[in-house]
Amino acid sequence: MYEGIKHIFKRTFTMKYPYEKLRLPTGFRGRHLLYLDKCTGCGICAWICPERCISMVPVTNDKNYPQNPEKRFPQYWYARCCFCHFCTDYCPTGALDYTPDYELAEYDRELLLWSPERLSRPTTHVGEYESVIHGNQGVTYERVAKTK
Amino acid sequence: MTTEPSTPIVDKAKESTMDVSVGPQHPGSGHVRLLMRVDGDYIVSIDPDIGYVHRGCEKIAEYRNYVSNIPHLERPCIIDAIHLNWAYVLPVETLQGVNVPPRGRYISTIAAEMNRIMSHLYWLAINAGVFSGHTTIFMWAFGDRDLFIELMEWLTGARLTYSFLPPGGPRRDIPSGFEEKLTKLLNYFEKRLIEYDRVFFKNPLVVARAKGIGVLKKGDAIRLGTTGPVLRGSGVEYDVRKVEPYGAYADLDFQIPTFKEGDAYARFLVRFEEMKQSISIIRQAIGKMPKGPIARKAPLVAPEGEAIGRVESSRGEIAVMVIGDNSDKPYRVKIMNGSFRNLIALPYLIRNVHVADMPIIYGSLDYWPVEADR
Amino acid sequence: MNQQSTSREERIIEKAKSQFPDYVKETKIDGNKRVTITFNKDHLQEIATWIRDDLGLDHLKGIACVDYPTHKKLEVLYLAGSFSKSEIQDIIVTLKTELPRDAATISSVVSIWESAHFHEREAFEMFGIKFEGHPDLRKLLTLDNWDGPPPMLKDIRFPEMGQR
Repeated sequence: MYEGIKHIFKRTFTMKYPYEKLRLPTGFRGRHLLYLDKCTGCGICAWICPERCISMVPVTNDKNYPQNPEKRFPQYWYARCCFCHFCTDYCPTGALDYTPDYELAEYDRELLLWSPERLSRPTTHVGEYESVIHGNQGVTYERVAKTK
Repeated sequence: MTTEPSTPIVDKAKESTMDVSVGPQHPGSGHVRLLMRVDGDYIVSIDPDIGYVHRGCEKIAEYRNYVSNIPHLERPCIIDAIHLNWAYVLPVETLQGVNVPPRGRYISTIAAEMNRIMSHLYWLAINAGVFSGHTTIFMWAFGDRDLFIELMEWLTGARLTYSFLPPGGPRRDIPSGFEEKLTKLLNYFEKRLIEYDRVFFKNPLVVARAKGIGVLKKGDAIRLGTTGPVLRGSGVEYDVRKVEPYGAYADLDFQIPTFKEGDAYARFLVRFEEMKQSISIIRQAIGKMPKGPIARKAPLVAPEGEAIGRVESSRGEIAVMVIGDNSDKPYRVKIMNGSFRNLIALPYLIRNVHVADMPIIYGSLDYWPVEADR
Repeated sequence: MNQQSTSREERIIEKAKSQFPDYVKETKIDGNKRVTITFNKDHLQEIATWIRDDLGLDHLKGIACVDYPTHKKLEVLYLAGSFSKSEIQDIIVTLKTELPRDAATISSVVSIWESAHFHEREAFEMFGIKFEGHPDLRKLLTLDNWDGPPPMLKDIRFPEMGQR
C-alpha cells in the first residue's frame, strides 16, 4: 500500500516517440552502410548470411572502381534480413558498416530490396534522449547533445 | 519385468468430467494448449498439447554453416539468447579444439548473468504476475528490464537477438563507460528488488495462492528428470555452473539458492534469490576482469566426431550435442533444454487441484513453449 | 587431480564390461566427463536397469537419434546423468544402440527412467522409431493431421536451401 502511494508522484518514463527518439549507441545493428570504394566483390557476406538475403549484382554507372573490376556489389533484401551483422564482421576489407537506421518500413515489398547505391547513402537518424539513472531515486530520460 | 509407470499422463474420462481446452490463444497459457479434464471445480488431469511453435530448428540447422547457425539456434529461447548461443558454441569449440581467452570468458559470463536477470524479470512479469492477476509487478518488471536491454544494446548492438558468441569468443569488447553505467544500474536494481519483495513476494494474496500448492517432493523431482529452479525448489542442490564450470564461473564465488518445500512459492523464491546472486556475480566479474585478447580465430569446418556441451540457463540445463562430419555444416544438432524436460512435471503436479491453482503451478514451472517446441 | 578424474570414467567402463562382458560392444571416453557405451538393442532393459541402480544415474537428459542412410542404420543415444550421487554428477554417460532403418523398434525405458516419456514420443514422431511398452505413444510436435513421413530422416531434403 505504502509502495503504491510512493509511486504516484514519480515521473513516468514514457517517451513521446516520434517526437523524442533515443540516441542509439555506436555499433547499433541497424541497416548496413556500404563503402563502394572498398568493396572487392568477394561475396563472403553473401556466403555467411544466415537468411541468404544478400546477392551480388553488377552496378551500371560511369564510375570506376579499381578494386572491383567486375563492378559486383552486394544487394540486400531487408524483408529477410535478421540484422545479425555477421556480414559486417566478416568482410575482409571493412566495406560494410553499422548505422543506427531502424525505420525501414515501406508500403511496397519491392522497395525493401536495397541496391548498392542506396546502401551507400549515409544515415539519417537523429536521436536526442538517453536514460539516466539517479542513484535510487529512479530513472529519467533526458535530452543530451544533438548527434550529427 | 516391466511395471506400469506410476503416473499415467491422461486418465480415462469419467461420467462427471468435462474437457476444457485452455487453448493456444489464451492470455494465460502462452503458445501451448492444455486440455483439462474438469470435475466441478477440480482438475482431474491435464494433457499438454505442445507443438504450436514447432519450426523444425534441428532440421534447418543441418543446412547452415556453424556461424550462420547462431542467429537461427538462439531464436528458440530469445529472452535468454546468450545461454542458448553458448550451449551451441561449447560443443563446436570442443570439436574444433578452440580455447577462448580469459577476457572473452569473463565478457561472456557478464552477458550471460545479465541475460539471466532479464529472463527472470520476464518470468516475474508474465508467469508470476499476469497469470496470477498481479499487474503492478508486470509494469515494474518490464520497466526495469528495459534498462538492462539498453545496456545489452550498448554491448552487443541488438536489443534481444544478440548473436554475440561465435565459436572462438565474443564478437566485441566492452565499450568504455559500460562498466560504470552497469554498476549504477545494479545499485539501482538492488533497491528495486527490495520493493519487489514488499509488493509481490510478501503480498498476502500471493503467499496464500502459492504456498503449499503444487508440491514436488525431492524424490519425484529427481525421478522425473526436472531441472533448473524446479529442481532447486525441491531441495536438490544441482547447478551446472558449479558441477561443470564453464566460462569464468570457476573463479567466481556465488551460492545456489535451494529451498526444500517444493511448492510453487519455493520455486518463486529460488528465482528471486538467483537474481540477487547474479548481481553479485556481475560485480565480481567486473572487478576481476583480465586484460588481453577477447577471441581466437576458429576454423570454418569441424572434424568428424560428436561433442556434448551444457550450460545452466534461467529455465534449467541446456545440453546440446553436435555431430560434425568434416564439412562446414553440422550433421546433427540435438538440443535438450529445460522447458522440454520440465514438461513432465505439468501433468504430474496438476491433478486434483482447484482450477484457480492451475495458472500458479504453470507459472511456477516457467515453461517457455518456443524453447520446448524448437 | 587429473589422474583421479580419468580413472572415474575408466572405472565406469570397467564396471560395465565386467558386469556385461558379452553385451558391451565398444566404449569411448571423449575429452573428460563424457563416456559412451555401445551395445546391442536387445539388452537395453538389463543395462539400463543396472545403470540406474548400480551406477546411480537416475535421470535421462534426452534421447537423441541420428540417421545414417549410407550405413542403413539409425543410432539412438540415451544421455544419462546423476543428481543424487555427487561423485559422478558431472559425467554424462551416453548409451548408444543401433537400429536397422526399415525395422526400427526398440523397447521403451519409461518404466526405468520416467523422464523418458516425452523424449520417446518425440523420437517416435521425428524418426519413426516404435517404442514397445510406452504408455502413450502419439504425435507430439507436428500437426494433428500430419500423415507424412517422419520429418527428421535424411530422406526429406530441401534442395532450395542450398547444398547439403
